[in-house]
Amino acid sequence: MRLSAPMKAAAQRLTLPFLIFVSALFAVLGKADILLFDHARVLLADAVSPIFSVASKPISSFSDAVADVEDVFAVYRENQELREENDRLLRWQEAARRLAAENSDLRSLIRFAPEGAVSSIAAQVIADSGGAFLRNVMVNVGSNDGVQRGQVAMTGEGLVGRVVEVGSRTSRILLLTDINSHIPVTIESTHDRAMLDGDNADQPRLVYLQAKSDVTSGERIVTSGSGGIFPPGLPVGVISSTGGMRVQPYADLSRLEILRIVDYGLDGVLPQSAVPAPKPVRGAKNTADTSR
Amino acid sequence: MTPGIWQRDSGTLTKLVPVLTTLLFVIISMLPFHIPGFGSIAPSFALMAVFHWTIYRPDLLPLGAVFGIGLFLDLLNGTPYVGLSALIFLLARTAVLSQRRMFFEAPFLVLWIGFLGLTAACFLFEWAFVSMLQFTPLQPRLFIFQAVITAACFPIGSYFLALAHRAVPTSEA
Repeated sequence: MRLSAPMKAAAQRLTLPFLIFVSALFAVLGKADILLFDHARVLLADAVSPIFSVASKPISSFSDAVADVEDVFAVYRENQELREENDRLLRWQEAARRLAAENSDLRSLIRFAPEGAVSSIAAQVIADSGGAFLRNVMVNVGSNDGVQRGQVAMTGEGLVGRVVEVGSRTSRILLLTDINSHIPVTIESTHDRAMLDGDNADQPRLVYLQAKSDVTSGERIVTSGSGGIFPPGLPVGVISSTGGMRVQPYADLSRLEILRIVDYGLDGVLPQSAVPAPKPVRGAKNTADTSR
Repeated sequence: MTPGIWQRDSGTLTKLVPVLTTLLFVIISMLPFHIPGFGSIAPSFALMAVFHWTIYRPDLLPLGAVFGIGLFLDLLNGTPYVGLSALIFLLARTAVLSQRRMFFEAPFLVLWIGFLGLTAACFLFEWAFVSMLQFTPLQPRLFIFQAVITAACFPIGSYFLALAHRAVPTSEA
């Protein structure tokens, strides 16, 4: 394109205000969940994931090596602790067996419908969000591996978050500490319901607690299952001792490496977005998401 | 001395060094280092690259490239506010460009102090912008941490940028 000199100068002068306007507009509109961005995100994540996979390997092996050295020094003390824990767990196993038998007796008594099949796959964290106001991670499995939006991410310890974005070979997990994460939970001992709202701090807040009366630190918090996104009873964390109605998650969210993506066969009930989408690009199976 | 392949090919590839290093720095800042809590305070290496190239070769890191790299970062890190980093990088580039003469032949310490000021301004802007869009003031603690870490890592980033800089042809456009 050929432009006259004054036109060119004018165009150059306008580039900066134009680009600033566009980026500010995008940032404000982004909250309204634009499908175009979702697609661009997924495509880009898929395209860049090989770089992340390769680059995260040496880092991973380095931190493994450091951990190995630490392990050698800790082995005696750890052995002692494990023996004690083993004793304790054996007693629990005994109790669990007894309860399982009793449970199956009772279930057969009331013709309890069995839970849907639960399948899970392991996923490796290949990228961090790297921002002060973002709590999400990218993992190396996607729709090729059967991952779907809305599935649940766990570690062996407890709930991590849920899948909010799925590419063909990558997915993004929104951690339960993110400011856009809202999870219906119950206090295990009292069955009081509440919401667990992230605010980007390490310990998410417990809000909308029905009976505020007697919640003490150390009480277990599990998912309540309302909303149909998470099944009931998944371990989330314990009421923090620092006060202020915060929950210390069981899963160590600050150093996630391997996650389990679990398909509980839940469809969820909430629409993907409050804004009417131009056309259903990803099919009708956009599962629930309270936020994004 | 015969010119190496990089010098000879100065027409094309080497002119991309500023853009490529900035993109690389974006990716580096998102790698999972498995250090507890590091993910949320990982230094913004990309800001260092924008700072460096705006001072020394603004012609090779034009507005459009800065905008594109910002979008790339935003789409990759899953933020709901796509465009925020692009906006910050554009403003940073504009600010640095206006003070370019002061930095161009300044000693490293002056550069570092300049970068410290830029980082503080960028993170303050980011905090204010996100707080506004979330309708609630976010905890400033993590933003402050991230700004401090970013400024503290400036010598490391600068070192690698200076290495990459050697590959770039010296002629000013």
